[in-house]
Amino acid sequence: MLEIKNLHVSVEDREILNGIDLVIRSGEVHAIMGPNGSGKSTLANVIAGRQGYEVTAGEILFQGKNLLVMDPEDRAREGLFLAFQYPVEIPGVNNLYFLKAAVNAVRKHRGEPELDAMEFWDMIHRRMELVKMDESMLKRPVNEGFSGGEKKRNEIFQMAVLEPRFAVLDETDSGLDIDALKVVADGVNALRGAERGFLVITHYQRLLDYIVPDHVHVLVNGRIVRSGDKHLALELEAQGYALYNTEPGRARRASA
Amino acid sequence: MAAVALVDHDTRHRDFDDFVARRREPAALLERRRQALERFESLGIPTPHWESWRFTDVGALAQLQFCRAANIPVDAGVLPSLEAPCQRLVFVNGRFVPGLSRLDALPGKALITTLGQALLTHPELVEAHLDRLPGLEDHPFAALNGAFWEEGAFLYLAPGVVLEQPLHLVFYATGADTVNYPLNLLVLEEGAQATLVEDFRGDGRYLVCPVTEIHVGVGAVLEHHKVQEESLQAWHLGGVRLRQDRDSRVRAHLLSSGGLLARTDLFALLDGEGVECDLNGLTLVGDGQLGDQHIRVEHAKPHGTSRQLFKGVLQGKSRLVFDGLIQVRQDAQKTNASQNNRNLLLSRQALANSNPRLEILADDVKCNHGSSSGFLDPDALFYLRSRGIGESEARAMLVYAFANDSIERITLTPLRQRLEALLTQRLCPAGGERRPS
Repeated sequence: MLEIKNLHVSVEDREILNGIDLVIRSGEVHAIMGPNGSGKSTLANVIAGRQGYEVTAGEILFQGKNLLVMDPEDRAREGLFLAFQYPVEIPGVNNLYFLKAAVNAVRKHRGEPELDAMEFWDMIHRRMELVKMDESMLKRPVNEGFSGGEKKRNEIFQMAVLEPRFAVLDETDSGLDIDALKVVADGVNALRGAERGFLVITHYQRLLDYIVPDHVHVLVNGRIVRSGDKHLALELEAQGYALYNTEPGRARRASA
Repeated sequence: MAAVALVDHDTRHRDFDDFVARRREPAALLERRRQALERFESLGIPTPHWESWRFTDVGALAQLQFCRAANIPVDAGVLPSLEAPCQRLVFVNGRFVPGLSRLDALPGKALITTLGQALLTHPELVEAHLDRLPGLEDHPFAALNGAFWEEGAFLYLAPGVVLEQPLHLVFYATGADTVNYPLNLLVLEEGAQATLVEDFRGDGRYLVCPVTEIHVGVGAVLEHHKVQEESLQAWHLGGVRLRQDRDSRVRAHLLSSGGLLARTDLFALLDGEGVECDLNGLTLVGDGQLGDQHIRVEHAKPHGTSRQLFKGVLQGKSRLVFDGLIQVRQDAQKTNASQNNRNLLLSRQALANSNPRLEILADDVKCNHGSSSGFLDPDALFYLRSRGIGESEARAMLVYAFANDSIERITLTPLRQRLEALLTQRLCPAGGERRPS
């Protein structure tokens, strides 16, 4: 589903990712763990198509198509979703209106008819229950004045509404208390299925107690230094990243 | 009549003599016209050396020759409509067109007519209020209006009269190099209430210099809208002066999207205790356009509140000027005044000049002002696109969100809907995108 081959990425002439190889198949959940500044968020942003990252070598294929030549909106329409580490507040843009525009853009791309107001509302209601979202949040501007937990929940809610084929969760657990974390994890688990892949990026093992991954990769200094199954996460939690000779803050400093 | 260049003193004076000879007005009025002409002569055409015209260069205008238009029939379809029950006066090239106007039965003691008609039927009311307000003294184009105005609206609401329907004033101009000077006089006596829309449109290259004078009596309430959608070759250099008496309330919306160069100077004198004055501005400028708002709010008496929110959206190679001054006189204690100018630049070639100013002579006041100009937030744009929303639609959504709180302040629903549609059309000229709601 997603194939990353020898991916090298620079930010302002500083190499952040140097040679990532990763294959994620339909139905799989992969976790990427790593210390601060190892390049985790860079990988998420490059997959989603944010500007400011230069791919100096390698490629990313999504369902066999070259992802890197696509605009961010085309990636989304093809079924890619990024749950942001820091969801953006957009004053003046109503959450519901925004969602409807997104849903219909994706449907149009798939050759499906736009949803009418009733169908849309029904669909939204079912998804809201999934992440225990309050209806009042829909009427507010996108993320404006939302708490940290509400913003992350809104990301998962959007994912549930857009039904992507592949989702990247960029440190969705950061800033969440345990109850919010469970809600987010339940939302993700409900969407797991044979047709869908996930890449879960996290600093801590805690999230992986609730979203149990099929594979765990350790990213250090822009390289995957080790891969394993879910037990690797527990091992990392016990031992930390010191084993991997890290140089903390490398990517973060470069991108700052 | 002959075309007159603004710089040509002799022709102008001959033109003036012809003009007033044909009008046969009372001596006092003629004298006012002469004084206005003299004021124009002593002021001259603004140059960028003038502080208040620093960013608004009208040099090209001075080279052109303008003449008053002949009576040209205009199709009703080109005129803006409120699509709601209203009293309506239509002026084409500065002249009243009864056939396109509509005046329904009015409540007693309410008078809506043209200024020319009012001079015949109610000369004492006109005389008591015309040219009695301070402000615009240094405005050369307001001075030209004072000398050369032909016609305009006259509204008089006696004490306690509430005008239920909005008064819609339509000013339509037709090019080629014509000039017109509408003058409107609006008087709301104690406790009167009115909603007013001044709607400017046209076709071709022309100059329009409108002046509106508004007297707002004790406890009166006015909802005023000036909507400027002139032709893209037109020059619109207008002024509004208003005086508010005790406990009166004015909400004025200045909505500007047309014109090659469009400028409105507004002076509000808060001349009684407990006055409220809300000014809401939205200026859209596109390639080649300059939009300018010069706002002066003077608090003369205690316990006044004024709020200014002026927003600008700049596309292409465009210019926007905002100059806002809050003046608080020494005895205007407990004044609460705010002023905010925010401009959104959608192109690297767009330029906004913002000059918010405060002059405070009282010591117990709450005043604040702020100004910001910037580009669209790239993070917000990426966020929308990452959800599948195309770039142009995402940009339109963000611009719409920026401008929308100005439009939402318009409580006159049909006008608000018209402006929503205008904004959408400006943002997505292809018309393929839906309107955010």
